[in-house]
Amino acid sequence: MDPVTRRRSGRGGLWLALLAAAALALPLVVSNRFAIDVFIRVLLFAFIGVAWNLMGGYAKQLSLGHAAYFGLGAYTSTILLIRFGVSPWIGIVAGGVVAMAASLPIGALCFRLRGPYFAIATIATAQVLMLVFLKLRDLAWGAEGTTLPNLGNAPLMMQFDGKAPYYYIALALLAIGLAVTYGIERSWMGYYLIAVGEDEDAAEAIGVNALRVKRQIYLISAFLTALAGTFYVQYIYFIDPNTAFSFNVSVEAALVSIVGGIGTLWGPVVGTVLLEASSALLQSWLGGGHGGVQLTVYSLILIAVILWRPTGLIGVLASAYARVVPAGRAQAGEAPRDG
Amino acid sequence: MRALSLPAERKPAKRPAMAEALVVRNLSKRFGGLRAVRDLSFSVDEGETVALIGPNGAGKTTSFNLITGYHRCDAGSVVAFGRELVGLRPYDICAHGLARTFQVARPFGKMTVLANVMTGALLRDKTLALAREKAREAISFVGLSAREHVPARDLTTIDQRRLEMARALATAPRLLLLDEVMAGLNPAEIDQAVALVGRLSERGLTIVIVEHVMRAIMAVARRLVVLDHGQKIAEGSPAEIVANEEVIRAYLGTGYAPAASPGGARC
Repeated sequence: MDPVTRRRSGRGGLWLALLAAAALALPLVVSNRFAIDVFIRVLLFAFIGVAWNLMGGYAKQLSLGHAAYFGLGAYTSTILLIRFGVSPWIGIVAGGVVAMAASLPIGALCFRLRGPYFAIATIATAQVLMLVFLKLRDLAWGAEGTTLPNLGNAPLMMQFDGKAPYYYIALALLAIGLAVTYGIERSWMGYYLIAVGEDEDAAEAIGVNALRVKRQIYLISAFLTALAGTFYVQYIYFIDPNTAFSFNVSVEAALVSIVGGIGTLWGPVVGTVLLEASSALLQSWLGGGHGGVQLTVYSLILIAVILWRPTGLIGVLASAYARVVPAGRAQAGEAPRDG
Repeated sequence: MRALSLPAERKPAKRPAMAEALVVRNLSKRFGGLRAVRDLSFSVDEGETVALIGPNGAGKTTSFNLITGYHRCDAGSVVAFGRELVGLRPYDICAHGLARTFQVARPFGKMTVLANVMTGALLRDKTLALAREKAREAISFVGLSAREHVPARDLTTIDQRRLEMARALATAPRLLLLDEVMAGLNPAEIDQAVALVGRLSERGLTIVIVEHVMRAIMAVARRLVVLDHGQKIAEGSPAEIVANEEVIRAYLGTGYAPAASPGGARC
């Protein structure tokens, strides 16, 4: 490891510690339930974005069907909870495993396609799963969905009185997602993923089995997304096919990564903070009556990023950092692109 | 210059010195009505440098794509180091020791030079530290060390070609297939590239090179295979080829220019 890298990671560690401390202290300082709710949504969608970014950002496989895994995670844990009395703590892992299993046939179908065709095929997979769960009346409550039994304060069943515990679970999920991404970035897999994302044919010429790499990252991405699904239904106490397989989840996962910085460790986090914060602020200023405004702002932010900063906000922050700290390198956070 | 540990050095050769590295037999490929490659046969001995030449559209790049698994041939066989390659995927063929470059360099643009080449080195060992070391050897071999941390998209044409070669070398190949690495280079750069190919050959690497720059071919290749309309029309030493009537008619022209048609030939 070269000295520049070592110095950079040392400084990064300090920032990370400060950030973690702030994130951990937040619920102690902020008691407003609406604010905590916004924070939980930010953490959750940042986590989904991180999961999406592994495949969509690094390997540039632009999936618009990650709701499939979100929904499978949500339904698996809920069915296990209500039908079999299994704790969601087990259900959350089971949901991840189900999502991994589902990603294999879905990947086998979709990875034959490239570019926009791949994206369209993934949309279809999530929609098909939604239709399947609409029809599964006996096992999965059909179109009406179901509320989750309220067990009061039952930490072993992932149910809590206050919002703070949910906040910490979401924070832990995000930390797991970031740690997984960090580990992959700094392993052979990070290099292979970026190589596949940049030029699949050229990658195969130097011995990269592109299909296998895509399949492997899809497994990981699906697993993580499913964790978010379980957490979400445990948080809102309700599940139906439209919520679980919502196209919004798929879009949001892609959007936060693109706005924040595709294929970067912190991109989805930065993107979610901006998008969710702006939408929450708009909601509180305008009330619920102006649904279109929030979407308009979303679209404007997306257009602005794509027009002026295709590398996302992380690119803006990195170059600003490089200007402020002359020794700092603009490529901070881009380790796998360099040796 | 540090030693580049190519497999030819790493493993003592079990085969006799003049074993065949590559044997192409009756290779054929059609694209619709176009017979891009027709009944092509040639072989390359271990350690030899062979050039594939011919006019644009003669089937040179198609032959490369057939050998390296990017196209599936309609008929024929490709045997490299004793193993049939037809039906294998490009990454398997690379793992078997055949590395190629592309006619138009295809670097991973947002990766640095070092990361590009490391990606190649990771084929043989998944440890980053070792890959970094191997990559640095390959980078220094092609003379790109000064640009190690430059994103590949910012390189000049010749440096992108060097990068392609370094990336291919990092996979520790036994046979290197170079597709027009000298197209578009100026005379001084061609001399550098010729020297580089010469050094690779000295290290015992078997090389198949597609090239239009006759001056370069004459300098690096011991044997030439001439293609026209997908068929082999001649094979022999450079001296034999430049005297061959059919080759002169089909490709060289009388009194061939030293840098004949350096443009990109898409076969």
